Amino acid sequence: MSPKDISRRKFIKNLGGGVVGAGVAIQTLSAKTRKESKPPSKSDSAVALTFTVNKKPITLLVEPESTLADVLRNDLKLTGTKVVCNHGECGACTVLLDGRAVYSCHMLALDAQGKSVTTIEGLMDGEKLHPVQEAFVEHDGLQCGFCTPGQVMAAEAILIKNPKPGKEEIIEGMSGNLCRCAAYPNILKSAVAAAEKLNKS
Amino acid sequence: MQFSYIQPTSIEEVFKLGSAAPLYAGGTDLIGLMKDDIIKTDKVINIKKLKGLDKIEDKGNKGIEIGPLVKIADLIENETIQEKCPLLVQTAKEIASPQLRNMGTVGGNICQRPRCWYYRGDFDCIRKGGDTCYAVGGENKYHCIIGGGPCFIVHPSDLAVALLALDAKIEITSENGQKTVPVNDFFILPEDDETKENILEPGEIVTKIILPEQAKGFKTTYIKFKERSSWDFAVVSVAAVLKTDGNMIKNGKLAFGGVAPHPWMEAEINQKLTGLNTDEASVDAFTSSLFHNAEPMEKNEYKVILARNLVKRIIDNLA
Amino acid sequence: MAESKYVKSKIFFEEEFEEKLAEVPTDPKGPWPANDNLKIIGKPVSRIDGYDKVSGTAVYTFDINLPRMAQARILRSAVPHAKIKKIDTGKAESLPGVLGILSSNNAQEIKWFNTSSLFDTHLRYQGDEIACVVAESEAIALKALKLIKIEFDELPFTVDAKEAMGEKAPKIYDEGNIQGGKPFEYARGDVDKAFQEADAIVEDTFDTQVAIHNPTEVHCSVVNWDGDDLTVWDSTQAIYGVRDTVADALKMPASKVRIIKKYMGGGFGSKLECGKYTVMAALLARKIGRPVRIVVDRKEMNLAVGNRPNSVQKLKLAASKDGTLTAISHYSYGAIGGYEGGAGCSWPARQMYKCDNVKVEEYSVFTNTGPTRPFRAPGYPQGIFALDSAIDMLAEKIRMNPLEFRMKNNAEKHPMWNAPFTSKLLKEAYEQGAKAIGWDKRNNQPGADKGPVKKGMGMASQIWWGGGGPPSHAVLKLNRDGSARVIAGTQDLGTGTYTFMAQIVHEVLDIPMDKIEVILGDTAVGPYCPSSGGSTTAPSVSPAVRDAAENMKIKLLEAAAAQLESEKKNLVYVNGLISDTSNPEKKIDIPGLMGKMGEQTITTTGSREANPEGYITQTFGAQFAKVEVDTLTGKIKVNKIVAAHDIGRVLNRKTLDNQFHGGIMQGLSYALMEEQIVDINTGKVVNTNLHDYKIPIIADIPEIEVIIVSEADPMNSNTGVKGCGEPAIIPTAAAIANAVYNAIGVRIKSLPMTPDKVLMALNQA
Ligand SMILES: Cc1cc2nc3c(=O)[nH]c(=O)nc-3n(C[C@H](O)[C@H](O)[C@H](O)COP(=O)(O)OP(=O)(O)OC[C@H]3O[C@@H](n4cnc5c(N)ncnc54)[C@H](O)[C@@H]3O)c2cc1C
Ligand code: SF4
Ligand code: FES
Ligand code: FES
Repeated sequence: MSPKDISRRKFIKNLGGGVVGAGVAIQTLSAKTRKESKPPSKSDSAVALTFTVNKKPITLLVEPESTLADVLRNDLKLTGTKVVCNHGECGACTVLLDGRAVYSCHMLALDAQGKSVTTIEGLMDGEKLHPVQEAFVEHDGLQCGFCTPGQVMAAEAILIKNPKPGKEEIIEGMSGNLCRCAAYPNILKSAVAAAEKLNKS
Repeated sequence: MQFSYIQPTSIEEVFKLGSAAPLYAGGTDLIGLMKDDIIKTDKVINIKKLKGLDKIEDKGNKGIEIGPLVKIADLIENETIQEKCPLLVQTAKEIASPQLRNMGTVGGNICQRPRCWYYRGDFDCIRKGGDTCYAVGGENKYHCIIGGGPCFIVHPSDLAVALLALDAKIEITSENGQKTVPVNDFFILPEDDETKENILEPGEIVTKIILPEQAKGFKTTYIKFKERSSWDFAVVSVAAVLKTDGNMIKNGKLAFGGVAPHPWMEAEINQKLTGLNTDEASVDAFTSSLFHNAEPMEKNEYKVILARNLVKRIIDNLA
Repeated sequence: MAESKYVKSKIFFEEEFEEKLAEVPTDPKGPWPANDNLKIIGKPVSRIDGYDKVSGTAVYTFDINLPRMAQARILRSAVPHAKIKKIDTGKAESLPGVLGILSSNNAQEIKWFNTSSLFDTHLRYQGDEIACVVAESEAIALKALKLIKIEFDELPFTVDAKEAMGEKAPKIYDEGNIQGGKPFEYARGDVDKAFQEADAIVEDTFDTQVAIHNPTEVHCSVVNWDGDDLTVWDSTQAIYGVRDTVADALKMPASKVRIIKKYMGGGFGSKLECGKYTVMAALLARKIGRPVRIVVDRKEMNLAVGNRPNSVQKLKLAASKDGTLTAISHYSYGAIGGYEGGAGCSWPARQMYKCDNVKVEEYSVFTNTGPTRPFRAPGYPQGIFALDSAIDMLAEKIRMNPLEFRMKNNAEKHPMWNAPFTSKLLKEAYEQGAKAIGWDKRNNQPGADKGPVKKGMGMASQIWWGGGGPPSHAVLKLNRDGSARVIAGTQDLGTGTYTFMAQIVHEVLDIPMDKIEVILGDTAVGPYCPSSGGSTTAPSVSPAVRDAAENMKIKLLEAAAAQLESEKKNLVYVNGLISDTSNPEKKIDIPGLMGKMGEQTITTTGSREANPEGYITQTFGAQFAKVEVDTLTGKIKVNKIVAAHDIGRVLNRKTLDNQFHGGIMQGLSYALMEEQIVDINTGKVVNTNLHDYKIPIIADIPEIEVIIVSEADPMNSNTGVKGCGEPAIIPTAAAIANAVYNAIGVRIKSLPMTPDKVLMALNQA
């Protein structure tokens, strides 16, 4: 294809065709080609962290530079908490720290020493969704769902602080959470409905 | 980032640790700086457990003492502050997002580093020890219109602007003892030192923010102009403390954020406020005299207009 | 079940027509009745993947964790233009925990784009790939990146399209910086003559910014070799596209490459292409014999995975006194970055309105900036912003209401090919939208409001492709217990594909929703479906699913006839029960029937039928905005958006409304906030994070009213769906811009309409 007739569309269409490999031999892996360094181990600087996660007491060794989100996702495999900006600029990593919403990507895990952390997984009652989660399904407060755990936790934090928040209070309380799909109208509806639901029950 | 982590429980311990390590209060600014390689350190000192620094105390006619470790969210919730200093509550509510207010501290807020995108990005600018200010002739829409040079940041803290209008003082403790300075003297201009924003030397800790007892009869407000409805630094902000009498301003103070490398207050502006008539013509004359000495950059001339208009709005609203 | 047949089918995807040989059914199923007469289609149905997403149990590519998985990260150019002289990876390699490094030092030559390779030593923008490190952890990989020493010669750079077009600009390619060496041109009628004869002419220049997709889930892949089989979990909108690119790059049979994507955190077009990172991870994984996860971070997202290019558009429009639009001349250019792409934005000028004389000249210009990629309706939000701003100016000049002007110049047939539409309800959209916003209360005099906060109202039109087409297939399996599984090789970006597929099966076969499982995003199991772009997923996939379900019904009726010993013509299928109208005793439900059969499952396939010959299928609409402008601060607040569109059939009212909200909010963001800013002096981007790259938050939402004026487009397919993802975003910025003018009487011709621009414009006016 000469550069002249390149168009972006063709480029997508031909992504296969445009890419021409030069002699990459496919080999079956033999045990020898496997590369293994020492199994990942914590360095000498690792420090013990004792805290409560979703009501369970946990102690583990963490690197001082690990953020709370790192520990939740990588060590505790609680991948419901998402990391989108890793900079305290989006809210996807929102968890509750002693009942208040914080950005887990933007604090050191060690700063949670002795504290209680609740993640999206911790809202569930076994298989049963929490009322806030139910409201997000019912009112379609999501599209791709990647920001959703953070949105749900932010909504829950508002309700912990004030079980009867007004709409303005909800908007203010949810304003630290971005949604690039921009499902905002339904996110708001979901949070308002969750408040109403909790007040009825 | 990679470092060791220390969490002392007394201020003496901090001093013993030496002075080079950065202090971690809420960490919301420090972590960003470390992730972006602006601060490189092998040690971080978490000061959260330092005793007695997370309280708000009403000292009657000696004013109110705010511990630097008070979370911004707690400042908002505090009844003493709500009752005696609504300006601070109004200002604190404008800061960042709910989560960041739950994490960030008052001390950290006034000591936070600037948000200039060259400073935060990988540009080796003057503030980072380089020899170029990229904002000059560059993307300077959010930079200062007054007080700049050789660096042209604006100070990012909202609280600092309100504290300036409130004549607050800052208590600083070091191994060598304590000193108390007015907010006005706490912050510095780049021409004094282009690598820092305040007078703190390594090893010095902010241990108190002291609000003098507020005189009666003043109306206060904080207007922060942001590009999105919430969670945004000030493009321009104004903290106002005004006493009015009918359609006249008896006296008052205006402090500005987003216009200069430190929170900005001009004696000249405040003098002109005294006796200002609040009819449209007088207010227009007053506001159009503001920042006549400003030196806007290529892309931030609008800030001059904005600052004037915000003052007009404040006077219209309060008077 | 009838045999299949093959046709050459034309389909419009993102920017161009393409003709594909496609298998289509020989017995096209007739159109459905109106939604009122259907059980679940068009109703507000909660997403079936909602539980997974709100509970945190949905596993995205980003979350995948395989045993022994290693982590890879990419080193990218810190400067906009350079030639690498030497890469020294020695120090990085000796860092404990580093498993392997790939760069031009040691990687085999794999062609990428038409002009470059996987690791090119000519770096054409800040963010271009230099090396890739795999390590025990991401932290170690990142540390290793910093230890790689690069020696390079910095080259003169150009980051501005206008400058790059000039003679003196540094050349990014020897042939020059204008892609293809010349502009794209289009003409009909005689524009010059029309301008001479015109009663009114407007002429102006509009510009729009570079916008970044920034989906929340970063681009990422997890790759795993099993012998010479490669499995790739990828956050992609195009599983088949990724499969083919990876297979070609690695010179391996496509059958050995399996791409899986279950849940993805948004794409908006940036994930329509296979990224280099996926191939790098595959190479490294093979080298170290372990699974590898590779992610890019937010900064890389803002540099290197695509953008909506900027545009500078010079428009000249003419009209006669009676309100006939007589001529459009559109000249534009935009920066496409260092590699081939497209900055065209003239489609709206060519086809939005009936206009006999049109001339287009547009340039895509190479610059030392990040690459372009289709972004939700590529070319259209920028094109409509300029065109519909100019349309309002022209209407004002001849003192005609802009709504009336648009109505008058509505094209009954496609203005470029004089072909009929399968359906077009644009006039209805104008009428219903205008009524809902209260158009008759619009300011007659722009800027007439007293006080510092001024209100205004504006509108703009929308046109886009849509309708989809073949090839697109679905497989339906019915199990012994009457539960079903429907499989398609497409993907759900958050758009609701999972849910509408289950709805269709339920609609046809009455299988309860909770007994229908939908499998998407796996090239090993899903029959081919097109990639998810251009609003083509629902119109392409929904008819195939319906076809499969109807075929299943035919099979079941045949089976029931044999089981009940009834005549087929007497059997009816109602609510999942087959009964013999001639003998009420004879009836059987689906689980009952399945239990009688030897087979554990029955399988049918379904295909999308061909698009009708000689007709054009497009989506249309209009959006109306109510804004207020604070003239003291320059801040624009959008109070209400009414969106009235012809998008064919609504499959699910709940997810449809959500799609519209999202598109409109992204349009609002494009109109007012978001913008990539490149420092002209260094050629580097200054806002690579989500705080400085501003997008709206929940407090910025206006009231949004979505009106769908269409019932269905029965000529297009058996479901009559046209698609709604892109239409939603197209007219928003233009409607807001026109409303702003109506509020303040000053026209803002540059996006985004940030407060500084508005304030300066007001103070210069
Ligand atoms: C996305 C984002 C948006 C933001 N928006 C706003 C905004 O709109 N308005 C606003 O005002 N701020 C804003 N901020 C800043 C935020 O409010 C500050 O990060 C926060 O207040 C800092 O508090 P901290 O306790 O977390 O500080 P830390 O990060 O712990 O510390 C900040 C700095 O202060 C020093 N420090 C802390 N405490 C002391 C002390 N007692 N004595 C001496 N030095 C000390 C630290 O060493 C460090 O250098 C924003 C921040 C982010 C990340
Ligand atoms: S304004 Fe200051 S911080 Fe910003 S680039 Fe210039 S010197 Fe650096
Ligand atoms: S990921 Fe933590 S705030 Fe964005
Ligand atoms: S649902 Fe996709 S980012 Fe919010």
